[in-house]
Amino acid sequence: MSRLTDIPIRIEPLVSSSSGGLGGGVTAILTEIVRLLERLASLDEPAAIDLRSLPMSPQDRTELQNALGEGEVQATLNAEGISRIHETRVPGVWWVEHRDRHGEPIAELIEVSRVPQILASASEEIAAGARDLRERITAAMAARSR
Amino acid sequence: MTHDNHDVTVGEMLRRHGISRRGFIKFCTAAASAMALPPFMGPAMAQQLRNARRPSVIYLSFQECTGCLESLTRSFAPTIESLIFNIISLDYDDTLMAAAGEAAETARTKAMQDNFGKYVLIVDGSVPTGAGGGYCTAGGHSAVDTLREAAKGAAAIVCVGTCASFGGIPFADPNPTQAWPVTGIVADKPIINVSGCPPIPEVITGTLLQFVTTGTVPDLDEHRRPKVFFGNTIHDRCYRRPFYDQGKFAKSFDDEGARNGWCLFELGCKGPTTYNACATLKWNGGTSFPIESGHGCLGCSEPNFWDKGSFYSGLSSPAWGKAGETSPLEVLKIAGGAAVVGGVLGAAAAGVGRMRQHRQEYESIDNEPKGS
Repeated sequence: MSRLTDIPIRIEPLVSSSSGGLGGGVTAILTEIVRLLERLASLDEPAAIDLRSLPMSPQDRTELQNALGEGEVQATLNAEGISRIHETRVPGVWWVEHRDRHGEPIAELIEVSRVPQILASASEEIAAGARDLRERITAAMAARSR
Repeated sequence: MTHDNHDVTVGEMLRRHGISRRGFIKFCTAAASAMALPPFMGPAMAQQLRNARRPSVIYLSFQECTGCLESLTRSFAPTIESLIFNIISLDYDDTLMAAAGEAAETARTKAMQDNFGKYVLIVDGSVPTGAGGGYCTAGGHSAVDTLREAAKGAAAIVCVGTCASFGGIPFADPNPTQAWPVTGIVADKPIINVSGCPPIPEVITGTLLQFVTTGTVPDLDEHRRPKVFFGNTIHDRCYRRPFYDQGKFAKSFDDEGARNGWCLFELGCKGPTTYNACATLKWNGGTSFPIESGHGCLGCSEPNFWDKGSFYSGLSSPAWGKAGETSPLEVLKIAGGAAVVGGVLGAAAAGVGRMRQHRQEYESIDNEPKGS
């Protein structure tokens, strides 16, 4: 057992959850997500909620995860540590969890966008990739003709 | 720690170290989260930083315990190595640098000459002025002279820790070395106080990162602390606050109230008068903070915290008696004699008088820094 997160914690759901209701904090977050989704749909404007900035209890977090669920898309980003990104059952709502090289969580966001910003390739990288690929083709053709 | 590549942009340095754009966006997202900035600031910060020049940073350690540097090296977001290798050019830190003696001092003077007017000066520790500055010297120079010389070419000064910010423990009564905070020595430079004994590591790195990103001094409170980290009291953001509101207090460290996690106000918690981010950023990568471990806040990020009486006296109690002693009323009951009562009251009055004088000294420092 090397990390605090390895200690098993049993989370008892609130009475409201077991009866199908939601805690006040979770309802507020979901309401904010609806507002951001409507903004994305009408103005094509992405947004995000920083989950670490909110005073959430473990129960709140579980309730929020259960309310949003898991959708069709899962992505793993391996850059300076692993990040796990998945679309929730609500289209356009992504759960983004960043971890550092030691596996410790460093940021957790709900991103409301068509595709999470960090997944999209950047224009300069696309251009550099095209140049690199062209050079490799040219070099390969030159080698073949020798 | 090199001083020959200040013109290299952060982006170029990242490329040299094999850090991808996405890796850097992630780093900035975590940093923005730590600084309580809007989440989409992360990518914007990454874009801005990639084109920024890495500023030269000179870290001076004076009358201190190195606890602040120990704290800094445990920063999770951003990590100290990512900060040192990619964002800043740490040209002098006598504790961390490999060079020593003449080579180290030469690195400092060269960095100061090459980056005059542009470097960030970090100061850790108070500055003793007694005995002609002789209580703290390095390389034959007193701390006070070194500070004055280094301050001349600094774009800004970041005081790390309560000692550099407010004098801290060396400044506490009777202040045998005549220690002063940086504001008592330097008058004509932007000064950012990152107080705490020690400060939260992410508050130190976050303040530096914010300065590098924007090139400007962040919004500061009346004690020159960044409002983004020192805008709320510990009490305002404490998860035990509902118990305070309900009047549920622990009366001792092992009573039922303590076991139930009730408010520690009556056990001396200084949370209501202490501005810091412990209750939100927490410590050790967001694991917990002292109140979560069942101990009240000591108020270490506030001026004169060491001279405010016992850590275990409630804020509404008079500032007399020492840690672990019975309350003043109980002392009177036990003693029962007029002479003893007079002595206790006299000592208390003298203590309050000293504190008042001390506070006035501090206020005069903050408002009218000693001539540099």
